[in-house]
Amino acid sequence: MVMADVSKAVAEMQSGASMMEQLVPEITTHALSYLDYPSLCRLSMTNSLMRKAANDDNAWKALYHKDFTLEQDTVTPVNGWKAYYAATRAIMNVNTEFFNIIKDRSLSAMSRFWLNADYVKCIHASGVLFSGYNAVIQSWQHAFNWEQWVDFQVRDVRARVLTNMAWITMKTYVDMDNGAFNMTNIFEFHHGRWYLVDHHCSEMLADGDIGQQIVH
Amino acid sequence: MGSTSTKIKLRTSNQKVFKVEEAVEVQSLMIKYFYENGCPSCVILVHSVSSNILSKILDYCKKHVNSAAGKEDISLEELYEWDANFVKVDQNTLFDLILVANCLKIESLLDLTCQTIANMIKGKRPEEIRTTFNIKNNYTPEAEEAVRREKKWAFNMLGV
Repeated sequence: MVMADVSKAVAEMQSGASMMEQLVPEITTHALSYLDYPSLCRLSMTNSLMRKAANDDNAWKALYHKDFTLEQDTVTPVNGWKAYYAATRAIMNVNTEFFNIIKDRSLSAMSRFWLNADYVKCIHASGVLFSGYNAVIQSWQHAFNWEQWVDFQVRDVRARVLTNMAWITMKTYVDMDNGAFNMTNIFEFHHGRWYLVDHHCSEMLADGDIGQQIVH
Repeated sequence: MGSTSTKIKLRTSNQKVFKVEEAVEVQSLMIKYFYENGCPSCVILVHSVSSNILSKILDYCKKHVNSAAGKEDISLEELYEWDANFVKVDQNTLFDLILVANCLKIESLLDLTCQTIANMIKGKRPEEIRTTFNIKNNYTPEAEEAVRREKKWAFNMLGV
């Protein structure tokens, strides 16, 4: 005769605290893996035990993979997955801002977006390299005057964030038939915010990526 | 394998014995394990589990096995709907289902019940979550403020 573990688990439930708090950690983690991050945050505010559960590293790792990418499965974020999730979401938002600036063709916003340093670099789709803050901003002025990026879509955004540095790779499709580009943005963290220090754009080889375009 | 032969028995707290059909075994990784490891006719004691819960769980397994085997003419949508109704139970029952699903390793039922819990949390304010699950707030006002600040630091500054 075999005794299943059920009896123990149920007996533990009857000691006073709420059923939710008395679930075994694996089940709690399993249940929390279905939550989005605002829900996890609100749950952590209910009490200290729930906070511990909601801060569970595995829950945030699962959420990271669900919301961002299945890549980076083997990385070990120094401050845990919750912090890494927050940092990734932050840099993704910064990167979205980059495209909003292009849509608005706002040179002043673009000037604030870049780090004012002599080593920043920008390679536009033309293949021309601009080096140093002034040259880079001038190149954007030129781009805003001549290019009409009205409708474009950004896909396959992948971010890697370290303490003071982050890089993002993505694919950008302009007007769906005007061109497809591989892009990389590199950011540095200074004075409490992220600054763009490198932007690289190059045209995608049509035959090299058609399969993926259809898939996504 | 004869699909109707009964092999493993489950005995509940109120001494009720449930014979488990082979078809149902497949749903429970634990029963499958006993079956495959030379214990095809043993009795598993599931103490403190009422016969109500166990019969509900066996219903679940049967439904899923039969629909997967095509024995029952049920569409995927209908099965989802059946699942949704299955977990429309009071919280005690729901948590009992979770525990048993976990112990008997019935993965799909564990997914279903855990997702139900998650849905009960989603979109609620902390106070509402407390009320829903009868969670006692054990934060001092200072600690609660600290948690609130930490949350702000981590997320609100992102403008999300």
